[in-house]
Amino acid sequence: MPDEPLISVRDLTKHFRTFKRREGVWGAMRNLVKREYIAVRAVDRVTFEIQRGDMVGYIGPNGAGKSTTIKMLTGILVPTGGEILSNGFVPWRQRRQYVKTIGVVFGQRTQLWWDIAVVESFKLLRKIYDVSQRDYDERMEMFNHVLNLKDYLHTPVRKLSLGERMRCDLAAALLHNPPILFLDEPTIGLDVVAKDHIRQFLKEINQRYRTTVLLTTHDLDDIEELCKRIMIIDHGRLLYDGPLALLKQKLLRTKQVKFVVKDGEQAARLPALEKDGLRIEAVDHLTYRIVFDRTKTSTAELLRQILAEVEVRDLLIEDEPIEEIVKRIYAGEALKEVSA
Amino acid sequence: MKLRNIAVIYNKERMDLLRDKRTIINMLLFPLVMFPLINTGFAKMEKRFTEKAARETAPIMVLGAEHAPAMIEKLRATGKYQILPFTEDFKQQIGDKKLRAAVEFPAGFEESLRTAGSAAPSVKLYFYSTELNSEMTVGNLEEFFSKQRSEMAAGRLAGRGIAASVLTPVKTEEENVATQEKVSGARLGGLIPYFIIIFSLMGALHPAMDLTAGEKERGTLETILASAVSRGELVMGKFFFVLTASVVTAIISLTSYGMTLKYAPARAMARGADASAKAFVASFSLKSLAMVFGMVLPLAMFFSATLIAVALIARNYKEAQSYVGPIMIFAIIPAIISVLPGIELNAKLALIPILNVSLVSKEVLSGSYPWGFIGLVFASTCFYAAVALAAAALQFQREEVLFRT
Repeated sequence: MPDEPLISVRDLTKHFRTFKRREGVWGAMRNLVKREYIAVRAVDRVTFEIQRGDMVGYIGPNGAGKSTTIKMLTGILVPTGGEILSNGFVPWRQRRQYVKTIGVVFGQRTQLWWDIAVVESFKLLRKIYDVSQRDYDERMEMFNHVLNLKDYLHTPVRKLSLGERMRCDLAAALLHNPPILFLDEPTIGLDVVAKDHIRQFLKEINQRYRTTVLLTTHDLDDIEELCKRIMIIDHGRLLYDGPLALLKQKLLRTKQVKFVVKDGEQAARLPALEKDGLRIEAVDHLTYRIVFDRTKTSTAELLRQILAEVEVRDLLIEDEPIEEIVKRIYAGEALKEVSA
Repeated sequence: MKLRNIAVIYNKERMDLLRDKRTIINMLLFPLVMFPLINTGFAKMEKRFTEKAARETAPIMVLGAEHAPAMIEKLRATGKYQILPFTEDFKQQIGDKKLRAAVEFPAGFEESLRTAGSAAPSVKLYFYSTELNSEMTVGNLEEFFSKQRSEMAAGRLAGRGIAASVLTPVKTEEENVATQEKVSGARLGGLIPYFIIIFSLMGALHPAMDLTAGEKERGTLETILASAVSRGELVMGKFFFVLTASVVTAIISLTSYGMTLKYAPARAMARGADASAKAFVASFSLKSLAMVFGMVLPLAMFFSATLIAVALIARNYKEAQSYVGPIMIFAIIPAIISVLPGIELNAKLALIPILNVSLVSKEVLSGSYPWGFIGLVFASTCFYAAVALAAAALQFQREEVLFRT
């Protein structure tokens, strides 16, 4: 029997009311007097469940409704409709008790106070969340170890680099050892090394404490590294919810073969391969690429043809990058195939 | 609502803000140095003006000089006037500020003075109204002629063997019954509430904007909203800190004002205002000070809550500044009105926020305690403060205010 889901969301909906802004000075004056309001459906009947210990990626383009969902899940915003039951609480109704069981990090925000030293923020949070001194010391020890916080604990937050701040923010969010962690763009703006640091840390706490993580991101590498399951949202609607592998398997229509021919003489023979709609693109000097539809052309057959025709020095077969798949999903082309 | 969480928020804001130079300058430094600076500045300016006025002679022109050579001699002897030769365009020159005034003697002026029983000759004075220097000069000239008049009258009476006292059959005598506290209280007491009000508003200004719009701008508002403090605790923590800033600023400014009056170097002031100022400060009773403080406290609460409620609407600090501007004006106007002469506390005015506190403080500082009004002012100000605080709390519940984009 499967566990009760830790987070269950049903028909979650959030409408915002904004008004049409008219252009120009005259328009701005008219805006003051008469406004045409538009209801924006930031989140539209979203339903999903998350099991304890899961790490789920939540992706979508800008303005898709990711952050609004997170804000409702954390109890900051009250939904227009639908239900959320998270760790046994209705977030916006039992916010006080509920938030003691969750950690939140907003990537472009910080919960550390700007002008005061990091450690002071930690101490304040310790009081707010009723963390005992012993637990606090123990966890700080762990964070120091894994996140290397020691060096900048006494620096004011505004002087930290983005990567350092994110580490501190993660530590702050996990100070009270919450079973659930919501991350909104945790790796935004970070360099490769810093991103890797954060990912390793998330993996570790997920494994060590079975912390359930829901993270929104723009960076699909985050998802590939961390999440087995992804949810894709656009225009407030959930477009896909399922394993990343399945998405790839179903949506991976094209593959590409990249190869390097021996010399110019060999390259001259390439046009012979261009049949059955296959097109050869030059990537670099002596390097070429063939993008093909794997449902129509078998990879083995294509390789056989290439090797038979030209002398190849090097060869690489790649899947379509996940970014391309997601782009196609956002463009609305791809999902009919998956929803089956 | 837990007191401890409010305290946590309060401490957080305190730590955050005291690291900010703007807070220190607005809250502590500015009110501390403003009064001594203004005081010495005014003293210097006053000295310079009096010295300049003493040195200066006013250029005037005389028409019909040939009719009054003796009078002109007397005029010249005062040393206050530089008498220029007559030109036709004297009116134009007065208008152009080249001349301060002109004096016209009629034909046979001195002749008719000597002849007893002839009609009194009239001297005509030309000046330019609204031009301060011209008005001052003409005032001096009138004084001069009035002195001449009395001297002449006394001389004529003496010539006929009549005592000069016949001119003043009734004398008046004045005695001031106001106590020293009352006199200087009315003079300076009117200003003190004005300063306290302005400074309690100024002290609240920066923290109120920084803790609301500033927090939005830095992106720390969402996270504090997502933490385990309730919205109510959040508002109260912020409110109490803003209030503290407001009260501290007011106290510092008041102390600085008092010290300046008490210890400032004595000024050469004819009316003895300086001496009475010192007496005034010395006469401050603890009771009156405590009373004023008791009145200003709910007012500071009103300011703090109003500023928080308004500044929270703004998306960033800059926007908050433009919202808060009108509040400043609305607060300063009643404070200024209270300083105007003739404005007295009554039941209606006791209900007008800011003005009522200002007026009642004026009364209290000048030594009278109208208990009925004091109660009314206190109660109404507390009421306004409560309304403003409720509005601030309500703002923190509104998603469209907190997450304005």
